[in-house]
Amino acid sequence: MAVCSAYASPSLRTPCSIHPTGSTQHLIFFTGDPRRPPRRPPVSCSAESNTVVIGLAADSGCGKSTFMRRLTSVFGGAAAPPKGGNPDSNTLISNSTTVICLDDYHSLDRTGRKEQGVTALDPRANNFDLMYEQVKALKEGKPVEKPIYNHVTGLLDPPELIKPPKILVIEGLHPMFDARVRSLLDFSVYLDISNEVKFAWKIQRDMAERGHSLESIKASIEARKPDFNAYIDPQKQYADCVIEVLPTELIPDDNEGKVLRVRLVMKEGVKHFSPVYLFDEGSTISWIPCGRKLTCSYPGIKFFYGPDAYYDHEVSVLEMDGQFDRLDELIYVESHLSSLSTKFYGEVTQQMLKHADFPGSSNGTGLFQTVVGLKIRDLFEQIIAEKSAAPVEASKV
Amino acid sequence: MASLLSSSCPSSSSSSLLRNGSSALAMRVILPHSPEFLGLRRGKPTAILAAAAAGGKRYWGTAIREEKLAEMIEKKVAEAMEACEGEALGSEGCRVAWDEVEEVSMAKADLRRRIADSGADPLEHFCQGNPDADECRIYED
Repeated sequence: MAVCSAYASPSLRTPCSIHPTGSTQHLIFFTGDPRRPPRRPPVSCSAESNTVVIGLAADSGCGKSTFMRRLTSVFGGAAAPPKGGNPDSNTLISNSTTVICLDDYHSLDRTGRKEQGVTALDPRANNFDLMYEQVKALKEGKPVEKPIYNHVTGLLDPPELIKPPKILVIEGLHPMFDARVRSLLDFSVYLDISNEVKFAWKIQRDMAERGHSLESIKASIEARKPDFNAYIDPQKQYADCVIEVLPTELIPDDNEGKVLRVRLVMKEGVKHFSPVYLFDEGSTISWIPCGRKLTCSYPGIKFFYGPDAYYDHEVSVLEMDGQFDRLDELIYVESHLSSLSTKFYGEVTQQMLKHADFPGSSNGTGLFQTVVGLKIRDLFEQIIAEKSAAPVEASKV
Repeated sequence: MASLLSSSCPSSSSSSLLRNGSSALAMRVILPHSPEFLGLRRGKPTAILAAAAAGGKRYWGTAIREEKLAEMIEKKVAEAMEACEGEALGSEGCRVAWDEVEEVSMAKADLRRRIADSGADPLEHFCQGNPDADECRIYED
């Protein structure tokens, strides 16, 4: 696959200057030697490349997760697959955000993985060199030809052109696995679904399919555990923010997984990220909003906020157990949360209502995904403001 | 007849695989509900019936993906059960087999969601730009 690195694309947003003069603007044309894949060219782009990179670790497929849809909605516009390209593309593009599925960096297709005896969770099935190279290029404002992993056929399809967006989200199983890729992330989120909830969700997802049964779903989760625990789970420690989804404590012996306890674990001291808090930052609060001013139906809502330690980091944890039944419950809760990074009062409620049909809209998953989306927007705006205030030399290639 | 989604042509894109499979179709009229319809079982995919009843237009490409994924799930679950029997439980082959099941289950669930969500067919964008592609023939009962 010869990739011609001709940066003549009019869609390039960032002027690239020849390093180290910095002030002249040139477009470099490379006619690639077909025997040798083109290496990174000696061009550095000015600090006007404002691509912010967000990493999202999730075991729920790519760009399909509700989190992604909420996130792109916060930034405005609906994310859609690239027009006119491969219909099985995993990429989502909206006017400000591009979401890349890290499965596209599989080095082995389905047949290859079967032959080598590795699952998709195994780092040996993924090309981290290419992942690093391309995320770095996009961050520097250069378009890339990214491979496509086709989940329907299980094959690696011809690449698609990805232009550098304002916000690049890399979503998949291994966004924080490789140290070099980690260094490119401006913010990272890990979606930590507990086994009981995973089981309940997979039942909802798969039971209607011919071929699946309770046994097959259970066996599938069990078989996945060793690789998941070895390769995916340890990434939690690197995340700036972890969303833990657990079974509710409000209903004894609940196994339906409909009412959820969701914990937003936020690292302290992360640049451009101020954790959400309840009432008094740094204190410990236990809060049941249902009472005289607000009536809730069973099982109600329970909040907790407090400082904690997570993998040797200082964190703040905001926890919600239960579900929202009515609009006024949501507004009431929003009005008592602080440091939400909303642009106007009621923005969280508005975003939740906009997507009331999305899963998790009545519990902490929807609430915290929306809040994290707002935090990411805030982070993005801070980074942009910082960059435009003081032009910085881009890092050496 | 070439199996639609076989991995024997690693260099072809999925859309060209579909095109190759269906060019043989053009040679004679094959009704969608006949068993020759690219090796499908008798009977129409019920998901498509429901969609057609709802008044939504369905492209052939989407219908075929749905049916194929459903078949793959069945097949791969059976393979995984077999690969994990007895001593082989927890072996490499067992884990890879269930990983494949998970992959196709996720792909099917995603397709279902995309069909349910927008009302328009997931191939709408592609077919606007490629109205002559085989995948973009209107699926008719």
